Amino acid sequence: MLAYLVRRLAGGAVTIVGVLLFLFVLFFLVATPEDVARKAVGEKAPPEVLEQWIAAHGYDKPRFWNPDDPADTMLAEHFRRMLTFDFGSSDADDVPISKRLREGAGPSLALSVPLFVLGLLIGIPLALLVAFFRETYIDRVGLVISVLLMSVSALLYIIGGQYVLGKLLRWFPISGFDPSPEVLPRFLALPLLVGLVAGLGGGIRFDRTVFVEETSKDYVRTARAKGAGEARIMLRHVLRNGLIPILTNVVLQIPFLFTGSILLESFFGIPGLGSITVDAIQANDFATLRTMVFIGSLLFVLGQILTDVSYTLADPRVRLE
Amino acid sequence: MEAHVVSNLIVAALVFGAAGLAVAIRRNRLWSEALRELARRRPIALAVVALFVVVALLESVRWRSEPEGPEAGDTVSRFEARSVVDRMFPHDFREKSYSAPLAEVEFYGGAPLAHPRSHLLGTDILGRDVLHQTLKGARVALLVGGLTSLIVIPLALFFGVTAGYFGRRIDDAFFLVSSTLMAIPGLLLLIAIIMALGRGPVQVCVALGITSWVGFARVARGESLKIRELDYVQAARALGVSEPRIIVRHVIPNLMHLVIITFVLLFSGLVLSEATLSWLGIGIDGSWGQMIDQARDELSRDPIVWWNLVAASSALFSLVLAVNLVGDAARDVLDPRTMKEHR
Amino acid sequence: MRGALRRSAAVLFAAILAGCGNDPYPLEDSLEKILYQPFDDPPKTLDPQVAYSVVDHQVIGYVYDTLLGYHYLKRPFTLIPGMAETVPEAIGLSDGRVAYRFRLRPDLWFHEDPAFEKFSPGTRTRTVEASDVAFSLLRVADPAVVSPVIEALGKISGLVDFGKRLDERRRADPEFAALRIDEQYRRAGPVDGVRVLGPLELEIVLDDAYPQILYWFAMPFTSPVPWEAIAAYDGVDGRESFAEHPVGSGPFVLSRYDKRSRIVLERNDRWYGVLHPEWKAPAATYPSEGAPGDAEAGLLDPDYVGRPLPFLSRIEFRREKEPIPTFTKFLQGYYDASGVVKESFDRVIQKGELSPEMRGLGITLAKSVEPAISYLGFNMDDAIVGASGGERSEKLRQAMSLAIDSKEFLRLFANGRGLPAQTPIPPGIFGYDAGYQNPFRQPDLDLAKKLLAEAGWADGIDPTTGRPLRLTFDVGDTGAAAMLQFGFYTSRWRRIGLDVEIAATSYNQFQDKVRRGAYQIFTWGWVADYPDPENFLFLLWTPMSRTKSGGPNTANFSNPRYDALFEQMKAMTDTPERLAIIHEMRSILEQERPWIENFYPERYALYHGWVRNEKPAGLSIPTAKYLDIDAELRALRRAEWNVPITWPAWALAAILVVVIVPGVVTFLRERQ
Repeated sequence: MLAYLVRRLAGGAVTIVGVLLFLFVLFFLVATPEDVARKAVGEKAPPEVLEQWIAAHGYDKPRFWNPDDPADTMLAEHFRRMLTFDFGSSDADDVPISKRLREGAGPSLALSVPLFVLGLLIGIPLALLVAFFRETYIDRVGLVISVLLMSVSALLYIIGGQYVLGKLLRWFPISGFDPSPEVLPRFLALPLLVGLVAGLGGGIRFDRTVFVEETSKDYVRTARAKGAGEARIMLRHVLRNGLIPILTNVVLQIPFLFTGSILLESFFGIPGLGSITVDAIQANDFATLRTMVFIGSLLFVLGQILTDVSYTLADPRVRLE
Repeated sequence: MEAHVVSNLIVAALVFGAAGLAVAIRRNRLWSEALRELARRRPIALAVVALFVVVALLESVRWRSEPEGPEAGDTVSRFEARSVVDRMFPHDFREKSYSAPLAEVEFYGGAPLAHPRSHLLGTDILGRDVLHQTLKGARVALLVGGLTSLIVIPLALFFGVTAGYFGRRIDDAFFLVSSTLMAIPGLLLLIAIIMALGRGPVQVCVALGITSWVGFARVARGESLKIRELDYVQAARALGVSEPRIIVRHVIPNLMHLVIITFVLLFSGLVLSEATLSWLGIGIDGSWGQMIDQARDELSRDPIVWWNLVAASSALFSLVLAVNLVGDAARDVLDPRTMKEHR
Repeated sequence: MRGALRRSAAVLFAAILAGCGNDPYPLEDSLEKILYQPFDDPPKTLDPQVAYSVVDHQVIGYVYDTLLGYHYLKRPFTLIPGMAETVPEAIGLSDGRVAYRFRLRPDLWFHEDPAFEKFSPGTRTRTVEASDVAFSLLRVADPAVVSPVIEALGKISGLVDFGKRLDERRRADPEFAALRIDEQYRRAGPVDGVRVLGPLELEIVLDDAYPQILYWFAMPFTSPVPWEAIAAYDGVDGRESFAEHPVGSGPFVLSRYDKRSRIVLERNDRWYGVLHPEWKAPAATYPSEGAPGDAEAGLLDPDYVGRPLPFLSRIEFRREKEPIPTFTKFLQGYYDASGVVKESFDRVIQKGELSPEMRGLGITLAKSVEPAISYLGFNMDDAIVGASGGERSEKLRQAMSLAIDSKEFLRLFANGRGLPAQTPIPPGIFGYDAGYQNPFRQPDLDLAKKLLAEAGWADGIDPTTGRPLRLTFDVGDTGAAAMLQFGFYTSRWRRIGLDVEIAATSYNQFQDKVRRGAYQIFTWGWVADYPDPENFLFLLWTPMSRTKSGGPNTANFSNPRYDALFEQMKAMTDTPERLAIIHEMRSILEQERPWIENFYPERYALYHGWVRNEKPAGLSIPTAKYLDIDAELRALRRAEWNVPITWPAWALAAILVVVIVPGVVTFLRERQ
């Protein structure tokens, strides 16, 4: 078990190094510091100011090799900063990135956690229902509706939701955010609704497949032969066994709750990590952007290792490769 | 060579390729039965997909010719190659600005139109016919889905099969690369690559390709791992058949159903991704996503301009829906099990 | 009695609204005099010596006060004293240099801040003195501050050298670099052109005459900042950075700064206008005279004239990224002012006036042409469109200029807001001539074709290739909306036979092309820093050339006569002679066409009926201290306008029941 864990961790570490190298190529080799500087100091600033900015942000170092001091290169600096979580400050406004991450995590979680939980609470029962009525018109209609829901562009859900529910019917504020608990639910209602509907189709389709698969297994047939009721079979056996693959799939998504939803946060003006990312893209704030990518990858790798390990612990049949 | 000649040649190559594929399918009993079953299950969806393909092909074939009358068009357009779709509309089929579907006067201000009652889906802010734009968008959508899949599938197949079949070091390297790419949040990776490569249809397709080959490569790897252990493959190896030959003759043919299913399912996802990219301002010119993005703000015009948004989004929706339905059916017909294990 | 009744009715309505519906604000704020404003991009920095964007100045303008200010109502813009007692006059020195002497008001206070406690325990604030203004000027020169205006303020004697000295000493001596910031400045000083003559007296000496320097004292770049704040908020070791933690002396205090969602400013009770209403200080009192038409517009209401400012208790900025939701919230009463979104234009404005619907809501409209210009430019270093092409290229530029119909552009993309531009100088700036018609800016396709034929490109055909002449239009925006606009220009040029291709790249790549000089045609704009023609005409001055010196002359225009005239004009006061020189410069541009002057943008601002004293400024100067809000009226209107429509929810529920129940029933019957 320990050997397996070590192996997994080593694999994760190698992956992280890969991500860092990839980021270096993209943000230090393809994009030049002048690009970043120009956007940061503004259109009207003269070239000396540009150079001062570049020097002040350490973008004037040699990229790979510095004969005077091998440790003083951009590549070394990039790795050192990321791996010690000393992300430095934003290229756009010099705010410490760690501060920005702290600020953004709350709003992101405020939207993504309810979205995630509600998505499961609504999606799984519906999928079970559809699977219960499999091979009937409810199943067929349910599947077609899921495919319909999946085929609409996410943009359209958001535009439509804001227009109909926000503007025409005035049920919710069209956009905005305020962390005070008195008004927070009002702001979250519409993005939650939109996010749920947009994600429902895919969720139902996946879960239904798992459940239907489960119903064709031997133990279900045995149970049925013993005279157990269909509803009982679904709830006691199919749901329970089907939940394992569903939850593994779900656990993998948990790390991404922190990074938030780029689209929803941007359109609804929620100041979470997703909208920080979009801001960073628009402001050419590469320091923030690469930190976001790094953190996303790190969370993903950790989540995957945790899932795998807990899975092996829970199910002894899974062999340790 | 000029751009439109190149594009015509590509179209010709694609048509020949498709014809060859059709012949191959007819010869193979299994495949032709599967196709027949698919047509039985989803006739309408298949027809819709076929319709979009035809429109896209018609939009891709372009050539130059003198405009009809001396007054029609200007010097520049006289030298421009026009597609079959362009030729279905009059040369100067434009208004000054918005016109509602089949209207007689301009939408705002009420000035008389140059072509009253002939814009089936109205015109956009620059007075371009929306039906024309929408039809042109079909080519972009198929380009995004098709070209990207053409990048993804060989790439994924190559890496997946070599990793799965040879295992060991190659597999480790594959694992490293694929997990690196998978670890980076998809949309961010996409944006970063486009920011680095620059903007344009090919660049967008390449970026989409890089971000989406991993999933399929992993499936291919898993399958070839299994196929490697099959008796007849072992037998072939024992008989001294060379490794590349085994891969080409035995492994890849056994993956073909997966290729087809992946292609169809990937396709709809790609077309939807392009819409999101358009919102970020890095989509492809003339795509439906771009039309939706342009039309987004028009909802609050008063009176409301709806035809733009409706035309583009229903075209997008019907293509994606049709492809999804075909994909589902194809999965059921070709392979009810394998895909699920890997999803 | 009536007031009390209205107030309680308003509270009741607000309470009902809070329970259900779309009110984005807490209930207890509904009757406060709070101004609600949207903002789009978050401010980059609140450091007054660095900030240069409109958003930054929207916040900084209230937090930091300036020595001089602009008269709220008078046009053209007139300087008035702010923290200084008077607007200083130029004093000619014996050595040919020019001096300005500022005298600060007494009893000016910085905002309360813990930074002061750090250096002199027990104090939370202190008074503003002349040395603080001097400190700010030195900061502009400090290379570590990276101020964008050193170019202009460098005209102060010795300031640039001070910056160099400071930089050298910091590099040479780490001990020096570790000193407290005020000590570093003191040791690297003194600066000949910045003289502190007494606690409240400051003299500025310029090498050459530069009357525009006074305008810089109406901008936050010269606002006094306390050195304590710079020393305390250095952004190191987890301490806050000064760019995020302003300490100023302005009429409002920053009380909340979540710059990604919400910025709150509270009224400053230590501001001199509040402490000393008896001074009737011009920048702290509602003015008694204005521009023609102001009295009719209700801007000289006797209820306000002569009253001390500010009237508001708080300003709240909320982040809004998308224009449509912002405008919808304005219509719902949740923002007090708004621009007119292009898409809703026809609903709001009809025949140049407010629509009856909007008037029915009590909304008012204020139009103002901004001191800004949008133009299309040619890269004069280019072989085909540039200066080296001689007369042939000049004719090409003239023809292309004649092809652009700015009026049509404005009609399509700005709903007719804006004036087609004839020269680089916009209205409201000395040298603007409403009667002048640029002969090459009157759209005329026939004449354009004729010129093109004379230049050797008959019908736009390039004789060397036999095809239409191909040019590229380099743009740094790839968004869908921008592409539509670029398409407008190319379609106009296409009409005279030119095949202009749009080369759309990201803003960066565009910047890079400009740096390398690899561009042909581009579009750009300029917003006035201050209301003087020098600030526009220098955009075509040779020393400002983009490719050679990185200046804002992106056209790389270079004409010796123009340069000579510019040198002569820049330091003059607004006399007829100056006007004559400007006219001569105008005729050079008219003929040479480095620019196609496109339009001067016009702003339509909408205000709700509960906002008082509104007058748009154009320049980014702080005006909210003059505004007042009738909060009770606002609460009533909001309640009235935001009753949710609930029937679709019931309808939807009913449909679900109708669809599902029979389905389940039939299914169960089949099962049995």
